[in-house]
Amino acid sequence: MKKPQVCILRTDGTNCDEESSRAFTKAGGECTSAHVNELRNGSHELSGYQILVIPGGFSYGDDIVSGKILAVELLSFLRDQLSEFVDRGNLIIGICNGFQVLVRTGLLPFRELGTMSATLTDNDSGSFHCRWIELALRASPCVFTSGMEGKEVMFQMAHGEGKFFAGDDVLSKLEEKRLVPIRYVDNPNGSLNNIAGVCDPTGRIFGLMPHPERFVEVYQHPNWRRISNLKPQGLPIFQNGVNFAAQNLM
Amino acid sequence: MIQEIRVVNLQGDPVGHGCLHDVRHTLGFTSVTGVKTVKVFRLEGVSKDQATELAEKLLAEAITQSYWVGPVQPMNGARVMEVAYKPGVMNPEAASILKAASDLGITDLVAADTSREFHFFGTPTDEELAVIRDRLLVNKTVQRVIDQVPTTLIIQGKPGSSAVISLRTMSDDELLGLSKDKLFLNLEEMHIVQQHFCSIDRDPTDVELETIAQTWSEHCGHKTFNAKLMVDGKEKEPLITRLKKASRELHEAKGVISAFHDNAGVIRFYDGFGVSGKVETHNSPSAIEPYGGAATGSGGVFRDIMGTGQGMKNILSTDMFCFAPPDLPASELPPGCLHPNYLFRRVVAGVRDYGNRMGIPTANGSVHFHKDFRAKPTIIVGAYGIAPEEFCQKGEPQPGDLIFAVGGRTGRDGIHGATFSSGEMTATTITINSQAVQIGNAVEEKRTADALLAARDEHLIVAITDCGAGGFSSAIGEMGAKTGVWVALHRAPLKYPGLAPYEIQISESQERMIAAVRPENSERFRQICKLYNVEATILGEFTSTQRFLAEYEGEVVCDLSMEFLHHGLPQRTMIATKPPYRFMHAPLPRPGVGRAWVQVYQEVLSHGRICSKEPIVRQYDHGVQGTNALPPYGGVGQDAPNDAVILTPILGKSYGLVVSHGMNPVLMRRAPYNGALWAVAEAMANLVAVGGDPDTAVIVNNYIWPFPDEQSLWTLDSAVEGVVMAMRMYGVPVISGKDSLSSTYRFPDGTKLEIPPVLCISAFGKIPDVTKTVSSDFKREGSAIILVGKIYENAMGGSVFEELYDRSQHQRMSPMVDQNRELKYIWQVLHRHIVRGDILACHDVSEGGVAVTLAEMCFGGRIGATFDIGRLGSERPDLLFFTEMAGCFLVEVSEKVLREKKLFKDIPHTIVGHTLREFAINLSDYGGKLVSIDLEILRQAWQQPMKEVFGS
Repeated sequence: MKKPQVCILRTDGTNCDEESSRAFTKAGGECTSAHVNELRNGSHELSGYQILVIPGGFSYGDDIVSGKILAVELLSFLRDQLSEFVDRGNLIIGICNGFQVLVRTGLLPFRELGTMSATLTDNDSGSFHCRWIELALRASPCVFTSGMEGKEVMFQMAHGEGKFFAGDDVLSKLEEKRLVPIRYVDNPNGSLNNIAGVCDPTGRIFGLMPHPERFVEVYQHPNWRRISNLKPQGLPIFQNGVNFAAQNLM
Repeated sequence: MIQEIRVVNLQGDPVGHGCLHDVRHTLGFTSVTGVKTVKVFRLEGVSKDQATELAEKLLAEAITQSYWVGPVQPMNGARVMEVAYKPGVMNPEAASILKAASDLGITDLVAADTSREFHFFGTPTDEELAVIRDRLLVNKTVQRVIDQVPTTLIIQGKPGSSAVISLRTMSDDELLGLSKDKLFLNLEEMHIVQQHFCSIDRDPTDVELETIAQTWSEHCGHKTFNAKLMVDGKEKEPLITRLKKASRELHEAKGVISAFHDNAGVIRFYDGFGVSGKVETHNSPSAIEPYGGAATGSGGVFRDIMGTGQGMKNILSTDMFCFAPPDLPASELPPGCLHPNYLFRRVVAGVRDYGNRMGIPTANGSVHFHKDFRAKPTIIVGAYGIAPEEFCQKGEPQPGDLIFAVGGRTGRDGIHGATFSSGEMTATTITINSQAVQIGNAVEEKRTADALLAARDEHLIVAITDCGAGGFSSAIGEMGAKTGVWVALHRAPLKYPGLAPYEIQISESQERMIAAVRPENSERFRQICKLYNVEATILGEFTSTQRFLAEYEGEVVCDLSMEFLHHGLPQRTMIATKPPYRFMHAPLPRPGVGRAWVQVYQEVLSHGRICSKEPIVRQYDHGVQGTNALPPYGGVGQDAPNDAVILTPILGKSYGLVVSHGMNPVLMRRAPYNGALWAVAEAMANLVAVGGDPDTAVIVNNYIWPFPDEQSLWTLDSAVEGVVMAMRMYGVPVISGKDSLSSTYRFPDGTKLEIPPVLCISAFGKIPDVTKTVSSDFKREGSAIILVGKIYENAMGGSVFEELYDRSQHQRMSPMVDQNRELKYIWQVLHRHIVRGDILACHDVSEGGVAVTLAEMCFGGRIGATFDIGRLGSERPDLLFFTEMAGCFLVEVSEKVLREKKLFKDIPHTIVGHTLREFAINLSDYGGKLVSIDLEILRQAWQQPMKEVFGS
């Protein structure tokens, strides 16, 4: 049987593409890297894929604000392709910089291309911060965290602009519709409601600041030597995506 | 017409907040009660409506920001200062704004710039604002305060021309005048150049003179390392020859693929891959513009990896710094030098922003403090790479191959970087040589790296090197040394018009690579670069003329024989003379009894050389690429330092690369030979402590030395002898290295300050299975703690303990590590036990001695320990506790393993204590209790200093 096809989107300054690709490959997907220029010039199309990944990094140097330039580029040139891709029910995951891009396109949290309703802004500390942190998974429609509700996991955060911010009305709507699959246990950046990641109402678009793709092998954990029976806690996120695609999108 | 857009944050202002903190805490100005910042965008060529559209869609986000199109708006009487980059310093953000505007269909935008307004509330005086400007906000080298709105953002300039210099008729004074602050060649060298042009019966062009000066600079030519030496009257082989000889004997056994002749040294890895290592310094640029200097230092060493073989992928960044203490009184700062607190934080920010944006984990490093770095810091950056073995050998361009310039454009930045960094620093360096510094654009380098790796994988690259010191002149000159080259300088894409041909030839603009590509592959090579938004230009081609021929708009501006350029400088003979050393056994004061130990322990742990550097590491993305199998800080609270980093560069494979280093400038100054052995032993012990195999390791050596007068040359010779000895004793070859011989500062009155000599030894090696490695944190209570190796009490010279408790300037003996092969055997035995899983935790003994090793292991496990110093046998338990003997370890072993296995039976080891549930250290002296120390107090002492510097 053909494996679910995963498109890893790259552009200038993308830098977590290889580990994202590795995570989806280990989870059973078949990954192809595509530069945004290839999607723009038509040499590559999203139509052959079930999963789109916008990986971490510093797209275009995160100039102006993180993810902004890539978001403008996607909205200017790939709006129709993206609309069609999500309308067909395909999956999108944005990690770190990818999450910043997704909120700036409006795909998160409400799947409204071109309308921003939330943002990710400077950490309260004002500084880039990298460390492993505890995260709590909660009930939501999110495809990628299915079956993980109620669990606590550890992922590495590595960002300077990760504070989730939105107006009160948007926050209440997020809580009401349960669109917050993952929260910080000890808030490291000032995110409102401890939000570390959000999904859209269908659960098929997911973005989060911490890096699950950095924990698909046991020995990637900073303290694997101290913990017996440790499992790679990032892997299920990618397996959920691949399994959902295999069952529903092929 | 320029439109101005101003954007303010409605939800918090971290930049303003950070500035206020610095104003009130670093400068102590309580007159300032608040700081708010406004981001300013200037756009040239667009209408007000278009500016509004750009603000709405690109520059301001309604959720957290507001904006207006128009001039500065005063805020309740606050004083305003707008800070921008100087024209000509390329602001990376400008290119992104142009790109995004074009994506939005606004093509009228011809230029853009950004800056930031600081609004100061309260009652600061003019003098205070001037101090804020000079100490915190504006580095005049690259920045300025905008007090008048610019009329255009476009940098104008008429194309320059080349000049002929009447060199042949110059007197000695004229030759020296020509050389000063520009060519940095001495009179003897100027004579050789003069004679050459007399012999060919014409005068040189400025392009030719500059090309020669770059190639012959100490930075590029390594004249001292290649010189014949007369040491204390005896002739010795050049330093580099001795290093290469000792190294070569070990190459086959260690799987060395490439040593010394490429941009990095390469060894065989697993599954058909090679891994490489390169370490560089960027002291001079960092001294005058620390952010840009350090960032471009990282950028440069990453390009060395990109330019090794046919191109390698960067997998690790390392950083080793030496500064004066951050609390140095401003009155002790030499004229023309920046304060260490500012230098330190800006250097960290530079390394952070370049490495993080490149997506290269910065995961190994250290910081050393000594007052004599106040005139110039030592900034060492390393990079490690990987590539399939078929791409690991340096390529040789053939006549007809095209010369491609790839990546960033050429500007006036970085002119004379190579020659400037080879000279002494003086009070005027900061103004005269400011154009030698630039700020760098990491994303330009990242996309260039992506494009080049894609081209390499299609076998399109014959040879490649980076444009570093000396720019095109060195990169192209070296690549074409055996063939000859023809270059059309006017083809080089420029950042702005107006560069003279010689400036194009020697500019050190960042993010540029030179690739040799066969003509039939050039179209495909261009296509790949275009896909990655990378500019690639054919500058010329390799020829069979053995000449460096360069033209500019049809005029020949350089026609030099490669023979003269590369071999015209005769080998130097240099004299080295032993400086006076006076060692004595002066006693050190005792700490006293009982609680006095707590005080000493705290003071040692909070010393700059020893305290936790975690706030630095947290700013680096040390986990990107997903390869980290042993982080810089681990343990229960992720705050205990590990001795080395372990990476799994091929994702999904459990084999790994281990990287460590050793460096101690104080010991180098005390006794360079012993200091060198110490540095190698320290690097190796760090590698072994985590589970690295001492038998597969190789090292990189970097010498950052004062200007080589006779005495400095003697200490340099002595250090090299130490490294050569270490290679033989430990069987570990040096495969790459660099020297920077300009650690001298000259005061306006002519007196000299010699900055401590630094030998940095970086070690790396392969690990078959990273799951058989160990971290430093104690794992459980009730384990035995064993000291592996031997320590001595009469080796306190250069220790932190000595620095804290004896300022009498007595030259005590510094640690002499094992002078026979015992250490190597100790490492091999320990390594076998780690691989077998016998060791729960391991940490090497280093600065601060066993005391610091023990405390850090306790911090990691959040458990305590008993420790009986008396078991080590001494009259002076305090000295044994704090002596800094490299190459030894504390290990944790479970009681069960200790009972059932005969560990360490034929190597020196001592059971010194066991782990405790209680978070305390119970010290005793042969059973007699000395003191019980609360570890929480020690942890705070250890963490506080860097928290203060970095405000976390």
